[in-house]
Parts: sequence; C-alpha cells; structure tokens
Amino acid sequence: MSGVSSAAYFARRVAQKERVRILYRRALKDTLNWAVHRHIFYRDASDLREKFNANQDVEDVDRIDKLIAHGEAEYDKWRHPDPYIVPWAPGGSKFCRNPTPPAGIEIVYNYGQEDNP
Amino acid sequence: MALRTAVLRHLRVPVTGSNQSQIGFLGSIRAFSSHDDHLSKQEVVDRVLDVVKCFPKVDPAKVTPDVHFQKDLGLDSLDTVEIVMAIEEEFKLEIPDKEAEKVDSCPLAIEYVFNHPMSS
Repeated sequence: MSGVSSAAYFARRVAQKERVRILYRRALKDTLNWAVHRHIFYRDASDLREKFNANQDVEDVDRIDKLIAHGEAEYDKWRHPDPYIVPWAPGGSKFCRNPTPPAGIEIVYNYGQEDNP
Repeated sequence: MALRTAVLRHLRVPVTGSNQSQIGFLGSIRAFSSHDDHLSKQEVVDRVLDVVKCFPKVDPAKVTPDVHFQKDLGLDSLDTVEIVMAIEEEFKLEIPDKEAEKVDSCPLAIEYVFNHPMSS
C-alpha cells in the first residue's frame, strides 16, 4: 500500500521536475528574447534563477503543483510576441522554404526537343 | 626499346586498395560547394568543452569529453538546462524540449551536435 503510494509519489515528483525543467528552459529563452543585450540578459537570468532556487526545497506535492502552475501562468503572461527562432526550425523564416522534392521526380534536360524532335 | 616494352608489359603493379577507399570517402565532399560547413568531431568536442568550461559554476580542470553534468560536475538540473541552452546558442541549433531533457552529459551533447545536420 505504502509502496504503491510512494511509487506514485515519486512518479509525480519526477513529472514535476520535468515540468520545472521545461518551464525554466522556456522562461530562459523568453528572457533572452526580451533582453537582447547580453549584460541585461545575464541580470534577468540570474533573477529568474533566484526565483526558481527560492522554491527548490518545497516537499509538499500539492504546493509544488501550485507553484508550477503559477510559474507557467507568469510565463504565458510574459511570452514575447516575436521570439527569435533559428531560421530552419519550425516557426523560423526558412522553415519549409525549399523542401526536398519528392523522390522519382527529375528534370529532363532536353532543351526543347519535345517540340522539335 | 622493344625489350623495355616487353618488360613493362609483363610487370604488374598491384593496385593499393587503401587509396580507393579514401577517394570513395572524399567523393562525397564536393569541391567549391556551399555545403562545406559540416563540423568535424574534434571541432565539436573542442567547442562543447569550451562552452562547459566557461560556465561559472564549473571547475574547468574537471571537464573532459566524457563527463556527466550532474554526477561528475556536481551541477543542478537547472544548470544542465542552462548548459544545453548555451550549446544551442554556440552551434546555432534549435533543440526540441523533449530532446533537451535527454542531453545530460558531455558525450551525449557532443553526439547530438555532431549528428545534427544543421549545426554550424
């Protein structure tokens, strides 16, 4: 009984840690979007890290859930309208620009011989 | 003169196979192509190690190509996230969130960057 609940507890904690990591990653990228100049970015990134570190010792699972939900709401509020995305990545400017043509299609260079055989 | 040609006709020089395999490999690299920015493994290793060494919470003397961020360098999971982001910025990559979770150590990071087609 307690073994099952502790396994569920640990599974929940692991899922929460993953959520925290993804949230931190997105928040850090967002900070870089907003603060383009590096010295401002470093300051904002350390502030963000302090916010995450302040809550790192919480053990109560429900409180952690609430904190994560609060963090995700903050992230949604602060999302940049025009984030920097690497051009070839989804959302970037070069994405799907020159897709590879489907296999089997080739250009036959016969320079007008279809009209004048 | 006839003796020379007769001797040459009977001499057979063995063709070395190593040259052929080398040329076969080089045949995939085109000269004057704009697709010449595929990184070599050594370059990837050097740059990744530089990124990890410049991280303020890391002791540069302990960084080797097969070091684990959390176990060997004593970093936090959030620090791993920061390192992965720094590697993304260094190699101009965009790593999806699920993949970035799995990059946990130097050899994984080097392998990911080396196998990514768009790393530069």
